Amino acid sequence: MVDIVIENVTKRFGTFTAIDGMNAVFEDGAVTCLLGPSGCGKTTLMRMIVGLETQTSGRILFGNRDMSGLPPRKRNAGMVFQYPVMYQTLSVEENIALPLNQDKSLSAAERQRRIDEELDVLDAGGRQKVAVGRAVARRSDIVLFDEPTTNVEVQAKLLLIRAFKLVTQRLKQTIIYVTHDQTEAMTLADKVALMRNGRIEQYDKPANLYHRPASDFAGWFLGNPGMNFVPARAVAGGAETLLTAGPLALEGALEGGKEFRAGIRPEHIGLSDEARPGSVPGTLKDINVSIAGRFIARVTVDGQDIKVKTDRVPTARRGGQVHLFADPAEMSFYADGRRIAAVPAGGQHNR
Amino acid sequence: MPAVELINVSKTFGRKKALDNVSLSVEEGSFTVMCGPPKAGKSLIFRILVGLETADEGRILLSGRDITDEPASRRNIGYVPQSFALYPHMSVFDNIAYPLHLAGTPREEVAREVDATVAMLTITHLVKKTPDQLSGGEKQRVAVARGLMKDAAVFVLDDPLVGLDYKLRERLMDEMKQLCEELRTTFFYATSDSLEALTLAQSFIVLDDGRVVEKADVLSLYAEPQHVRSLELVGFPKANVLQATSAGGAVDLAGLKLAAPDGLAAGAVLAGIRPEDVRLDHSQALKTEGTVQIIEHLGSEIVVYLDIGGSPVTAAFAADGVVPPDLDSRIPVSVDPSRIMLFETASGRLLGRGQAGGAVHG
Repeated sequence: MVDIVIENVTKRFGTFTAIDGMNAVFEDGAVTCLLGPSGCGKTTLMRMIVGLETQTSGRILFGNRDMSGLPPRKRNAGMVFQYPVMYQTLSVEENIALPLNQDKSLSAAERQRRIDEELDVLDAGGRQKVAVGRAVARRSDIVLFDEPTTNVEVQAKLLLIRAFKLVTQRLKQTIIYVTHDQTEAMTLADKVALMRNGRIEQYDKPANLYHRPASDFAGWFLGNPGMNFVPARAVAGGAETLLTAGPLALEGALEGGKEFRAGIRPEHIGLSDEARPGSVPGTLKDINVSIAGRFIARVTVDGQDIKVKTDRVPTARRGGQVHLFADPAEMSFYADGRRIAAVPAGGQHNR
Repeated sequence: MPAVELINVSKTFGRKKALDNVSLSVEEGSFTVMCGPPKAGKSLIFRILVGLETADEGRILLSGRDITDEPASRRNIGYVPQSFALYPHMSVFDNIAYPLHLAGTPREEVAREVDATVAMLTITHLVKKTPDQLSGGEKQRVAVARGLMKDAAVFVLDDPLVGLDYKLRERLMDEMKQLCEELRTTFFYATSDSLEALTLAQSFIVLDDGRVVEKADVLSLYAEPQHVRSLELVGFPKANVLQATSAGGAVDLAGLKLAAPDGLAAGAVLAGIRPEDVRLDHSQALKTEGTVQIIEHLGSEIVVYLDIGGSPVTAAFAADGVVPPDLDSRIPVSVDPSRIMLFETASGRLLGRGQAGGAVHG
C-alpha cells in the first residue's frame, strides 16, 4: 500500500500545457477522484501515473519509489479503461484470472480463491464489471479507473457503483478514479481532486468541497445547479451583499480594493411571499421542478438572476414579487476566484 | 394563436406506425419541451415540422398558416438537428453564417450576429477552424449556433446537448432560457433527459410510442400526472413503478395492502411512487423494510437505492444534515398510501390514488 506523490509535474503537448507544475499526494488506501471538465488534464495525469505518458518535467513516486522511466507493466498498477478491453474469447473467470496467472508468486489455490471472491461480488454480467474485477483481483497497490461508466446505461452503472464500493471498502487499495460527473465523485471518493486548466483547485473530502468551496470554480462545478455569485463590498463591520439586508460580520476580511463576490448555494436561500427581517425583495421569473420533490425558482434581484431551491411553490405568479433570505452562515466570499472570508459560525446580521 | 400546431398527424414506415394521430400545439413565446423515451417519435415530429419528412395524414400550421404542402426552404423555422450535419469544406464562421447568407443579410450584420452567438456559446476561438478540427462537443455547439442564426419565428432543437458535460449543459440551458426571453420567440425542444427537460420546460409534452400522452405546464404535470409515462419523466430521480394487484377493494403491492380508490376493477395495475414519497422511517401508514443497495450523493440531495422483497425501489431526500444509512443495512421504509398512484397496465392511464391512512391489515 502506497501514496502516490506528484512532485512538480508538468506535461506539455507542443505549446499546450496539460499539467502545470503540479504538486499533490494521493493518499494510501483511499479512493481519490480526479474531477473536472473536459480538457482539465485529469486523463493526462492518470496516464502519467500508470506510465502511458511521460511527464515533461517533475517526478511521480509510488511511496518513495520514483517511477520515472518504468514501463507500465513494472509499476504494479491495474487500470480500467473508459472503453473496457475484454478478451472476448475468454470467460469472465478467465478474464479476471489473466493477470493473476502471470504472477508466479501465487499458489493455484490462492489464485482461485481471489477469482471466486471477485466473482461473488460481481454476480451480474457486464463487461465493465469484469474489467473492474480483473483490475482489483490482481491486488496491485494502485488501481486507476478512466471514466468507466461512460456509455454504460443507468442500471448497469448503478450495479458498477455498488460493486466498486463493496470492493474498495474491502481491499483498501490506493485508487484513482477519473470522472467529469460530480455525483459519481461525491458518491465514490474519500477525497476529490477538483481540476481545472492542468491544476488542482482543491483536494478535499467531498463534503468540504461542497460546503466550503475554496474557489468560485468549485462552487460552480459542484451542485445541481451550482452556486450563485453576487457582488459584495467591504463596509464598516464586515460586508454587504446583494442578498443580505444589513452588514455581515466576517471571519477574514475583504481587503486590497479588489472585486469581491459572495457565493451561496441555491438550497441556502429561503423564498417567501412576505418580507422578513433580513430578506431582500425580488421578481419571480419562473419556477421549475428540481430533484427529490424540490423546486428551482429563478428570481431577479437588482437585474441579476438568483437560483433558489425550495420545498414549496410560492403563491406569487411569474413576474410577481417574492422575498429572499440568504443564510449568512452558508456564504463564502471570493476575490480573484479564491475564498478569502466567511461568516463565522453563529454569525448573524448586525441589525 | 399557437406558434406551432400539429393536427392529427400520422406517419407509418412499412408496418410500423411511427406517429399515431399526433395533435399538439406550442404557445407563442413559450419554452416547450417534448420529452419521451428514445424512439418515441420526437425527431420525426421535428423532421415533419421543418419539412424533411412528409406526414401520411394530418396538417401542420405555423402561426396559424397551413404549411403542410410548403417545401422546407419556405418554412421559417430555425432547426438544430440531432446529427450536426456541418459543411466540412466551410469554416466554423461560414457554417454558422450560412442561414444569414441564404437570407441575403448584409455582410457587417452577419459578422455582428455571428460574433454575438459564438460568444454566447463560448466558441469564439473556433471560428477559423473547419469541422474536422473540432471535438464532438465543439461541433455540437457550432450546430446550435447555426440553428439560432436564422431570424425565425420558431426554433426547433432536437436534443442539442446530448452527451455534453453536465456543467456545460447547465450553462447552455441558462443561455437558451435567457435567449427565449430576450428574443420573445418560441423554443420547441426535444430531449430524453428528464432533468434537462425539467430545467428548461414551461410547457411539457409527454410522448410515448408515437403518441402524445399528456401536455400541461410542468408544475401541474408534476403534481397530478394522468399517465404513468408523465410520472416517470416529470420528476427526478425517476419514479418507482411497481406491479400490483387489485382485488376486493384493496391493492396488493408486494404483500403490502392499501385501500383501493372507489370503483377500481380487479386485476393487475401499476403502482407509481415518487422517490421523494418513500420515507426511510415508519412515519407513514404503509410500512415495510428494505436493504440499502447504493447511496448516491448529489450534494444537496441524497438518493438511496433499496431492495424491497426483490423489487428495486428508489428513495430521495434533501441532504440537510441527514446521516445516510450504511450499505447493505436493513432499514424501515414507509409510504403514505394517498401518495401512491395507480395506473391501468395496458393504457398507462391514471386510475386513482390509494386512500389516506388506508393500509389494510390481514
